[in-house]
Amino acid sequence: MSNRSYLGEMELMVLLALVRLGDDAYGVPISKELLNLAGREVALGSVYAALDRLQEKGFVTSLLGDPTPERGGRAKRYFRVTRAGLRALRMTRTALTNLWSGIPLLEGKRS
Amino acid sequence: MSVQKSNPPTRAIWLLQHACPRSDNEALTGDLIERFREGQSRVWFWKQVLIAIAVGVLGEIRRHWPHFCYAIAGTAMPAFLWKTVEGVPGVLHWYALPWPWSQLAFELSRALLALAALPVLAAALVINGSFRWVGLLRTGMINLALIMLGHYLLDYLLDVFPWLLRPVPGNPHLFTILILPPPSLELLFFSSFLVSAWLGCRSPRQARNLGLVRRPSSQA
Repeated sequence: MSNRSYLGEMELMVLLALVRLGDDAYGVPISKELLNLAGREVALGSVYAALDRLQEKGFVTSLLGDPTPERGGRAKRYFRVTRAGLRALRMTRTALTNLWSGIPLLEGKRS
Repeated sequence: MSVQKSNPPTRAIWLLQHACPRSDNEALTGDLIERFREGQSRVWFWKQVLIAIAVGVLGEIRRHWPHFCYAIAGTAMPAFLWKTVEGVPGVLHWYALPWPWSQLAFELSRALLALAALPVLAAALVINGSFRWVGLLRTGMINLALIMLGHYLLDYLLDVFPWLLRPVPGNPHLFTILILPPPSLELLFFSSFLVSAWLGCRSPRQARNLGLVRRPSSQA
């Protein structure tokens, strides 16, 4: 397991999508959420790669659902954010807010 | 809608399940089938599969980078050592020694080959924070076994089919093997180093991480 506790951009977006989706978070809704809210068309393989990294870091857990015929008999893999994941999200938000604040150029003000 | 159009490309699914180095391809395959049945095209499906394989391979390299360092060092080291030794005047080559010393030196060179790159693996594992003496020793032993096995299999093959050998011009002791043109021997060595490091350095924690738990059906 990796000791790194910070989140990459993709990991941050996937983690936020997981929080928004709650109990119904699996690959398809996560990728749709990223497309609808972030405007990013992310390949499902990339979503799963980010989820695997998040699971390695202990920020998410996953459970297998039941196989369904519309998925060719394949089960869904549901993901849920852990407490460590929520803590990492809060820390990232604080860090980003600190970095964003006090930059007039980015706030639309003239220096 | 025709059956052909409603069914996802089976070759792409086969490729995903056999070429994508992820621990759980079933969920990803199911997601792709679900999106395909929602109206995505076959081209979209193939693109997703190829991206998943590329991302999976890159993820494996990232996850096992010490093993790749070991494999690269182990593959490059013999060529480097050979060139270095060849250029030094007065160095006695194994083929210049009388039998059985020539045989012994030849066999020992294989053991040295397996062990020479181990310090590189040790250093990479220390940097990665996953160093274990047991893993290192196990890797050395597995690699030695693989190299010896490959060597004796090749010897057997060349005994049965001697026409596969062609002499190297200018050196009566060296031969090229027709079925193994230059990059393939290096690829075999690289694979041997990679497989031995992967098998040797597997920790119980890594094995546990692969386990998936089924969600109760009432929630699904």
